[in-house]
Amino acid sequence: MLAAPGLVFVTLGLLLPLALMLRNSLNRYDPSELMISAVTAENYLKFFGDAFYQEVLWRTVWISGLSTAICLVAGVPVAYFLARHVSALAKRMLLIVILVPLLIGNAVRTSAWMLILNDKGVLAAFLGLFGHEGPLGLMYSAQGVIIGLVSVLLPFMIITLNSVFESIDQNLEDAGQSLGAGHFTIMRRIVLPLAMPGVLAGSVLCFILSMNAYATPVLIGGPTFHMMAPTVYQQIAKVMNWPFGAALAFILMAVTLILTVGVSVVVQRRYRKWSE
Amino acid sequence: MPDVVLQDVAKHYGPAVAVANMSLRIGDGELVALLGPSGCGKTTTLRMIGGFVETTSGCITVGGRDVTALPPNRRNMGFVFQNYALFPHMTVAQNVAFGLEMRGVNRSDTDRKVREALVRVRLAQYADRLPRQLSGGQQQRVALARALVIEPDVLLLDEPLSNLDASLRQEMKIEIRQLQQSLGLTTIFVTHDQDEAMSTADRMVLMYNGKVEQVGPPDEVYGAPRSVFAAGFLGIPNLLPGQMLPGQQGFRLEAGPVLRLSGQAAVAGRCFLALRPEVISIHAAPPSDAENCLAGRVEIMTYHGSAVEYQLRTDIGLTLTARAVAPGLGGPALLPEGSRAWLSWPATAGVTVSEN
Ligand SMILES: Nc1ncnc2c1ncn2[C@@H]1O[C@H](COP(=O)(O)OP(=O)(O)OP(=O)(O)O)[C@@H](O)[C@H]1O
Ligand SMILES: [Mg+2]
Repeated sequence: MLAAPGLVFVTLGLLLPLALMLRNSLNRYDPSELMISAVTAENYLKFFGDAFYQEVLWRTVWISGLSTAICLVAGVPVAYFLARHVSALAKRMLLIVILVPLLIGNAVRTSAWMLILNDKGVLAAFLGLFGHEGPLGLMYSAQGVIIGLVSVLLPFMIITLNSVFESIDQNLEDAGQSLGAGHFTIMRRIVLPLAMPGVLAGSVLCFILSMNAYATPVLIGGPTFHMMAPTVYQQIAKVMNWPFGAALAFILMAVTLILTVGVSVVVQRRYRKWSE
Repeated sequence: MPDVVLQDVAKHYGPAVAVANMSLRIGDGELVALLGPSGCGKTTTLRMIGGFVETTSGCITVGGRDVTALPPNRRNMGFVFQNYALFPHMTVAQNVAFGLEMRGVNRSDTDRKVREALVRVRLAQYADRLPRQLSGGQQQRVALARALVIEPDVLLLDEPLSNLDASLRQEMKIEIRQLQQSLGLTTIFVTHDQDEAMSTADRMVLMYNGKVEQVGPPDEVYGAPRSVFAAGFLGIPNLLPGQMLPGQQGFRLEAGPVLRLSGQAAVAGRCFLALRPEVISIHAAPPSDAENCLAGRVEIMTYHGSAVEYQLRTDIGLTLTARAVAPGLGGPALLPEGSRAWLSWPATAGVTVSEN
């Protein structure tokens, strides 16, 4: 009974717009009348028939995958260090420092990155001190977008990982060490397998967030660097092609879902034996 | 098997002293129990020997080799943790094999040694189970097998029995002792249970406030505690404050009367006479030939089946506990609470212990 209001909210707030989007994606677009009610697959066929949109999707996937991987590689040591070697007070301070970027709006933070990354920006000036010359080429590039995404996503990864690392009994690591294992082996054989649920959760979170990233690709990527979320927005708000925008949104959602569920299933199958 | 020597080993956490200048030698093949109340520094000492806690000062040698600066993975010590610390994602066999793998032992030798280790702790049929599918006692034995299979120089156990129920504890106590004896392992184990220490250890080290209070074989420490703390910790409820008279024939109680002594060690200044409840006899009428006698009133009478324990408030203001054989087994008739009674004990009974 108590679940009823929640269910109603989820249904109305989530499923209804989704259903409307699905319905819209089956409609027909007309340049003068905009949306004509119909049941047609032509918007989906347009996506699969146009290499440009497939390239946008592919770029979105690999940029998201790479950003997530970088967050993981950078996040594990930081989160582990926070969990094991930092006092409670210092940890609270550090977590606040890590969280500050999230308190600043996405657009504001990304603008700051533009100031840092552009060819006459802070980073260029800094590298200039060491004799670096010529343009950095980070603005309007995949590297720049990845730097921007990682800076937003890393805090999520660190916080998720930190809480799993803290839940792992320190005695397990000591036991490993007394049995002759070095730090690297303990990490690989004991800590990471036990942290796998958190690694998975953090990665899924980062991946979903970057698949749907908007401000970073628009501001740092610029007008010629296309990713899915800005493309959806452009179709709906600029071209006013609602049916195609809806179809793109659906494809983005489906691909994100398939990839995250797929990876989760594979990883969990490997570790299910003991974690269930 | 090598011996373990601690020389002036100390551990400070900021201004707090967890272990203060501890010196101790654990002989080759000896089983030593570190015993003491909560927070006295037992775990810290054990973890310094294992290498998990850095020493603030002092040095630790194993078989003459200085290991003070070595990390745990290069000390070749088996460590059994209080909560067992079995790897939850590995089977019993994988847990036991881990240390061998780290030593680069080949596959067939590993399999054989793991099997032997599991047979030794009677868990051969559980090799493919996960730790959480085992009972507490079984997990305990896996932890033991895992620590022993690497053929350690020293075995360290931190409260290995505290998570087990009473009957299992008894069983594991015997099992650990037998394993230790058959392998001739130098073993140090931590406990706060004096029965556990006394029934398993060759020597026990009584600790208090980060310091060694007394070291010796269990019977010696039990029979002759050297301080009020030791006497109290070993379960002697009667600690009578006073002073020894010259010649050690008398003991002047702070409460007034002089007691007769015979054969106790001389202690200068304020000290205590420690009397076990068993050495005090209780009478319904004043005894005629007692060397020491105090009169009082029964405050609490507790019936234990084979024995009866009386707590008396004596007329001089001291509270004493006496333990008598039950009436059915030849002891005196029960004295109800509130009744008058007389306590007596021989001059040779009790030990004198210093104040600190
Ligand atoms: N990491 C630490 N930081 C600060 N103080 C500590 C730390 N570890 C232990 N101590 C202190 O050192 C003292 C000894 O602790 P230890 O764990 O050795 O006690 P113990 O004898 O094992 O007690 P118990 O029977 O409760 O396990 C305690 O007062 C404890 O508060
Ligand atoms: Mg302890």
